[in-house]
Amino acid sequence: MSRLNRRDFLKLASSLPLGLVIPPLAKTFPLQPFQEGKKNVLMIVFDAWSAYHLPIYGYPRNTTPNISRLAERAVVYHNHYAGGNFTTPGTASLLTGTLPWTHRAFQTYDSVTEAFVNQNIFQAFKNHYRVAYSHNPLANVLLRQFSRHINDYVPMSELMLTTDGLLEGLFENDEDIATVAWTRTVKKQEEGLEGHSYSLFLSELYQWYQQRKVAAFKPFFPRGVPNIEAENFFLLENAIDWLQDRINQFPRPFMGYFHFMPPHSPYNTHRDFYGAFNKDGFKAPPKPEDIFSDHNPYKQLLKRRISYDEFILYLDREFARLFDYLDSSGVLDDTWVVLTADHGELFERGVRGHTPPLLYQPVVRIPLMIFEPGRTSRRDVYAPTSAVDVLPTLLHVTGETPPDWTEGTLLPPFSATEPQSDRVIYSLNAKDNDPAAPLTRATAMIVSGSYKLQYFFGYKELGEGVERIELYDIESDPEELNDLYAKKKDTGADLLHQLKEKLKEVNQPYK
Amino acid sequence: MVNFMTSRYSRQGLWSLFLICAFPLHLWTLILSFRDVSWLMERTNVWDAIGVISYGLAFAFIESVVIFLVLVLLGLVTPRQWETDRRISFLAFLVLITSVWAMMSQALFVWNISLPAPAIEYLRRSSHPLRILYAVCLLVVTPTVLLPAYSFLRTKKPVMVMRDLIERLSLLSMFYLVFDVLGVIIIIVRNF
Repeated sequence: MSRLNRRDFLKLASSLPLGLVIPPLAKTFPLQPFQEGKKNVLMIVFDAWSAYHLPIYGYPRNTTPNISRLAERAVVYHNHYAGGNFTTPGTASLLTGTLPWTHRAFQTYDSVTEAFVNQNIFQAFKNHYRVAYSHNPLANVLLRQFSRHINDYVPMSELMLTTDGLLEGLFENDEDIATVAWTRTVKKQEEGLEGHSYSLFLSELYQWYQQRKVAAFKPFFPRGVPNIEAENFFLLENAIDWLQDRINQFPRPFMGYFHFMPPHSPYNTHRDFYGAFNKDGFKAPPKPEDIFSDHNPYKQLLKRRISYDEFILYLDREFARLFDYLDSSGVLDDTWVVLTADHGELFERGVRGHTPPLLYQPVVRIPLMIFEPGRTSRRDVYAPTSAVDVLPTLLHVTGETPPDWTEGTLLPPFSATEPQSDRVIYSLNAKDNDPAAPLTRATAMIVSGSYKLQYFFGYKELGEGVERIELYDIESDPEELNDLYAKKKDTGADLLHQLKEKLKEVNQPYK
Repeated sequence: MVNFMTSRYSRQGLWSLFLICAFPLHLWTLILSFRDVSWLMERTNVWDAIGVISYGLAFAFIESVVIFLVLVLLGLVTPRQWETDRRISFLAFLVLITSVWAMMSQALFVWNISLPAPAIEYLRRSSHPLRILYAVCLLVVTPTVLLPAYSFLRTKKPVMVMRDLIERLSLLSMFYLVFDVLGVIIIIVRNF
C-alpha cells in the first residue's frame, strides 16, 4: 500500500470541515422529501398517568390547574382506555394502533411481532419528518424496533442527568445484551434485582458516583431527584427546554412522539409542590384488598397517593410551559397536539402501582386531550374510546389514509359518522403469557356502554381451572365497588361471551 | 518507586494476590449470572444468555484489577518489617472477609431472607430502627475483621493458614481467568 503523500494529506484535510458539517445537515435535511402543507403532529405521553387523578375527570384534588385551563381549547375524552396496564403493552398499542393480543408485546421489555416493525405510527407518517424520544427504557425497546422509520430517534441518555453513554459507545453492535449485563453488574435497584448485583464492590462505587452527579439538584426535590429505578436521573424541565429549543428546527411537517416519565414512581416532585396536598382532608374510598395485591395498608396508600398527586402538579406546570411556548411561537397554528398516557396507576385494594394483573379503572382509564390547530373552545367526548384509535385519527386529520392493519376507529368528533353505539373497548394484561402462544393466563377487559367486565383466567392464585369474573356499571359505580356479575346475569353472560369469542379469534393464529 | 515496591512485594506474591482478588468476584458473578440464564433464554436465546455471562465475566475481571490495585496500595502502609508472605496473606484475608460480608449482604436479597418476626417488631417499635440496624451490623462485622487482623500481628499461624488457602483458591481463579479470555472472545465476536 502506498504511503499518503503531502498533497494527498492536504486534499483530505481540506475535506475535513465538510465531513464535520454533513452528518448534522443530513439529519436536518433528510434525503426523502416531506410533503409540504400538511399539519404537524406532536404527541406528549406521560407515563403511568391515570385519568382518575385529574380534576377535569372529577377528581377532588386540583392536580392540574394549568392543564384544566388549557383543556378549554381541546377535545377532552372522558372514557379513554389504554391497551394494557403497563408501559410495554400500553405504548405498543398507542404506536401500532392494535391491541396487545395482536402486537404481542405482553411482557416487560418485550418488543412487538415482526409484522409491526413496518406497521406502526412512524411508518404510517411517512410524509412527515419523524422524531421520537422516551425517558422510559421499556418504550425505548419499541422505539428502537421502529427506528428505521424514525428520522431522528433521540437516545434516552440525551435527556438524562446520568447515563451509561460510555457503554453505548463501546458496544454499539451489541448494545442490548451489553446493557443487560452492565445493569446486572452495577445496578442494584433495577427491576427484578432489588438489592443484588453481579458486582460486589463496583456497584457500591457506581451508586455513590450517580448520587454525587445529581447532588446539586437534591435541594429542589425533597423526595429525591426524579429517576428511573434509582438510576437514570432526569429533570422534566430539561426535557421541556430541549423540546422548545429543537421544535423549530424540525423540518415541516413533523410528527413527534415524546414519552416522559412523570408521574411514574418514584413520585419525586419538585419542592414547589411538595406538601401541596398534605392534610387536605381528601380520602379515597377504602376498597377490599385484592388477591393480587402487594398488601399495602390503606393509610400508606393514601400517603403514596398524595406523593403521586404532587408529582402530577410538576408535570402540569411543565406541560403548560411547553404549551405556552408552542402558542407564543406560532407552532400551535399548524400543529395537532395530543396529550395522553400509556397506562394509569392504582392506589387501592392493597395495590400501589401497576404491576398486578388488575384492570380497574384507575390503571386503564387514561387522559386524552387533542388540541386541534385553531380550536378555541372545549369539546367533551363521553363515548368510550381506546388508545388504538389515536393512530388512525391522527393520520385522518393530517390528510393521510389510515392503514387497514390498525384496529382503531376514528375518534369523535373527527369522524364523519357518529360513534357506533355497540362499540366495545378491550384492554389486556398478559404479562405471564408467552407472546408466541395462545392466551392461557391473562386478565382481559371489555367495556360496552356503561358496563365493564374483567375476566381473569389461568392464574394459580385463583386455583386450578378457576376463573374470576367481575361486572361493574362504571357510570353509576365509577369506583367499581359493587360487582354485579351475580345480579346482572344476562349482561354479564353477554359480555363474557363477546370477550371469549374475541379471545378465541385472537388465539387462532397461535394454536 | 520500583525499589519501594520490590521491598514490599514479590512478583509471585502480587500474582497470588491478584488471583485471590479475582476469586470471590468471579464466583459471585458466575452464581448470579447462571441464575439469570433461564430468564434470559426464555426472552431471547442461548447465544444472548452466553453473551450476558461473557460481559459479566469481563466486568468481573476489570473489578478484580481495580480491587487488586487498591489492595496493593493498601499494602504499602503495612509495617515495613513484615515479610512479603505475611503482607500478601494479610491483604488476601482482607479481600476475602470483605467479599464474604458483601456476598452476605446481597444474599439476603437474592434468597429473600428476612429478619425474624420478633426482631422486625422490635425495630418497628423503636424510635431509630436504622441506627439500631447499623449498630448491630457494626457489632457483628467488626470483630470478624479486627480479631483475625490482630492475630496476623501476633502469630505466624494465620499466615500459614492463608497461604494454604491462597494455593487452593488460586487454581480455581486460574480457571476463571480462562473463562474471562473465552468471554472476551465471545464479546469480540458479538460486536463484529
